[in-house]
Amino acid sequence: MRPLLVTGYSMLSALGMGRQQHVDALASGTTGLGPSPIPLEFATATGAVKIELPELPTDMLPWSTRLARMAAALLQEIDEPLRRAREKWRPERIAILLGTSTAGAETTEVAYRQFVEGGKFPRDYDFQRQHTFGAVLTVVRKLTGCNGPSWMASTACTSSGKTFATAQRLIEADVIDAAIVGGLDTLCMMTLQGFNSLQALDRVACRPFRAARSGISIGEGGSFALVERTGDARVLIEGIGETSDAYHISAPHPQGLGAQAAMSNAIKAAGRKPEDIDHVNAHGTGTHLNDIAESNAIQAVLGTDVPCVSTKAYTGHTLGAAAALEMAFSACAIEEGFLPPAIGDGEIDPKIEVKIPTEKTTGKFERVLSNSFAFGGNNVSLLIGAP
Amino acid sequence: MSQRVAVTGVGLFLPGFPNATAWAEKNELPADDPRKPGGLAYDRVNRRRASQMGRAIGDAVAEAMAAANVDGVTTPVIVGSSIGEAGAMLGLLDKMWREGAPMSPAVFTVSVHNAASGLLSISMKNKGYTTSIAADYDTPAATLLEGIGLIATGTDAVVCVCADEASPRALLEHSPHWDMLSAAVVLQREGAEGALTHLTVDDCNDDRSGITIAPAEFAEGFAHSPQVGMADLVDAIQRGQSGTLALDRGNGRGYRVTIGN
Repeated sequence: MRPLLVTGYSMLSALGMGRQQHVDALASGTTGLGPSPIPLEFATATGAVKIELPELPTDMLPWSTRLARMAAALLQEIDEPLRRAREKWRPERIAILLGTSTAGAETTEVAYRQFVEGGKFPRDYDFQRQHTFGAVLTVVRKLTGCNGPSWMASTACTSSGKTFATAQRLIEADVIDAAIVGGLDTLCMMTLQGFNSLQALDRVACRPFRAARSGISIGEGGSFALVERTGDARVLIEGIGETSDAYHISAPHPQGLGAQAAMSNAIKAAGRKPEDIDHVNAHGTGTHLNDIAESNAIQAVLGTDVPCVSTKAYTGHTLGAAAALEMAFSACAIEEGFLPPAIGDGEIDPKIEVKIPTEKTTGKFERVLSNSFAFGGNNVSLLIGAP
Repeated sequence: MSQRVAVTGVGLFLPGFPNATAWAEKNELPADDPRKPGGLAYDRVNRRRASQMGRAIGDAVAEAMAAANVDGVTTPVIVGSSIGEAGAMLGLLDKMWREGAPMSPAVFTVSVHNAASGLLSISMKNKGYTTSIAADYDTPAATLLEGIGLIATGTDAVVCVCADEASPRALLEHSPHWDMLSAAVVLQREGAEGALTHLTVDDCNDDRSGITIAPAEFAEGFAHSPQVGMADLVDAIQRGQSGTLALDRGNGRGYRVTIGN
C-alpha cells in the first residue's frame, strides 16, 4: 500500500495531556493507573484522565460532555499542523474519521440513573447531541472547520485503528486529501461492570505478560492524528492488516491465528519482511487468554527476539481509543529512540516466549508493529515506520 | 464525487416485508404474522445471540449476497448503524440502576456496536476485513464511501448494510419515532458481471436541487429511520430508476447517490 503520512498527533490519557508528558512517563516507567474515580463495589485500578478538560465554546455547550471536551483537548495539540493542512486542502477534502466504543455512554448512564430515581431525565440531557456516535463528529467539525466525510468506527477495542485504514483507502480512492483520525473513550460504570461480569478485571493495576496477571485495567483518553496525502511526515503508516478471528465473540483464538494474519498482512502491505520489525507495541491487555494468544501469534510471525511492550500497564485499556493511542506511543519510540520498560508486578510468565524488556531500552527503532484486538474477533495491526 | 462502482445485489428487511422482493411486489405479510427477522446469514448459535436488529442485518445481507452471487467466506461486510445496540445498552442500564443486579456477561458482549459484524464473521467463517460504523443520518453515505474505498484499493466485492433498531422512545421522546429496518447493497468494480446499476456518492453541500429520484413510499415509521436512505436506494434500484437520490431525506449533511447504467 502507499504509505499514509502522519503529520501530527496528540495524546491524552492517565499519563497526562500532550506528547511530552507521555514521553516523560514512559521514559521513567511511571504508571498512570490508580483508584477508580467511579465508586465501585469491587476492587480494580483504572487509568483516569486527571487534568481539567477545556470547555467547549458557548454556542456548543449543548454538545458538552466529557467525551466532547476530550476531543477539544486533543485538537489543541494538533492545531498547528491542522492549520497548515487547512491552507493546503479544501475543507471538504479533510475527513474526520474517529473511533470509539462507548460514545456518550458515560453521559447517558448518569442521566438514566436520574430517570430511574426521579422519573425524569436531566433538563439539559440530549441523546442526539450528547450520546450518539455522530455527536462528537459534529463537535470536531465545528471546532476545526473540516467538512469532509466523517464517521465513527465502532469495533470495540480496534475502533481507532480502523480509522487509519479507512483514511488510507479514501486518499487512494481520491475522495479526500487528508483526515483527522484516531479515537477516544471515557470511563463509565457500564464498561467497568461489564468487564467485571466477564471476570476480566485485575483487582490491582494490570500486569500484561506477567505470571500473576489476572485481567485488564480500564482507562480513558484518546489520540488524534493528522494524516495527509503529501506533507512533512513525522512517521508513516507503512502497512495495515485488518482481519477477523471468526472464532468467538469475546475470546481470542488460542493460537492467535487472526492476530498472526493481521501482523503478516501489515508487513506484506508495507513491502517489508518480519526481520524489518524492531519493536511490537502489544495489545497486551493483561488477561490470561489475550497475552498468551498474542505471544503465540508474535512468535509465529516474528520469532522471539523482537522486544514487545504493552503500554496498557501505563494507561489502562482505553478501549476504542487504544489503537490510536498506541500508534502514538509507537511513533514516540521511533522519534525518541527508546522503548518504555514493561511495567507490572511479578515475574514475566515463563509461558510467554517473546521478549518482554523490563528495563528502558534505548536504540534506533525504525519499524514498529502496533497490535489491537477486539470483541467480535476483530484485529488490526499497524506498521509504523520512520519517514 | 466518488469513484463509480457497480451494484450487483440488494437486500432489505422491514417488519411486514421480509426481503426486497416482497417490498418490490408490495407483498406485505398479514398483520397476525410475527414479522420478526430470521437472521438468515447466521448459524444457529449466533442467530440466538443476535439482537432483533442483528437478525434484520443478517436477512438483508443474506439476500444481497445471494443476489450478487458472492460468498460469505471472503466478502467483507460493512455494518452501518447510527445507534447500534442501544436497546441492549438500555437494558443493561435499567438492570444496573433499577435492580442493582449484576451485569449479564452474555448481554454485555453483544451490546457493542460491532456485535452484528462480529457474529456475521463467525457464522460465515470470514477471517478477513469487517467493520461497524456510525454517522447519524449520514450513516448510509458513510457506509457506501467505506465500501467504495475498499473497491478502489482492490477488494472484489463488499456488502454495505445499514440498520437501526426502533428508536429508543425513552431517550428520544421529542423526536419522531422510527421503526427497525435493514437494507444492504453489494458493491463491485465498475462493469462487474451482473451489475444491476452503477453508483457514485457525493456531497451536495446543502444544494438539494439536483435530486431527481423520489424516496420510497415507506410507512411513516420507517421514513424517520437514520438508515432510510439505504432503503430508498434499494427501492430505487428495484424500480429500475436512474438519476440522483438523497441519502439522508434532508436530515443529514446532504449526501446523495447517483445511479444508472
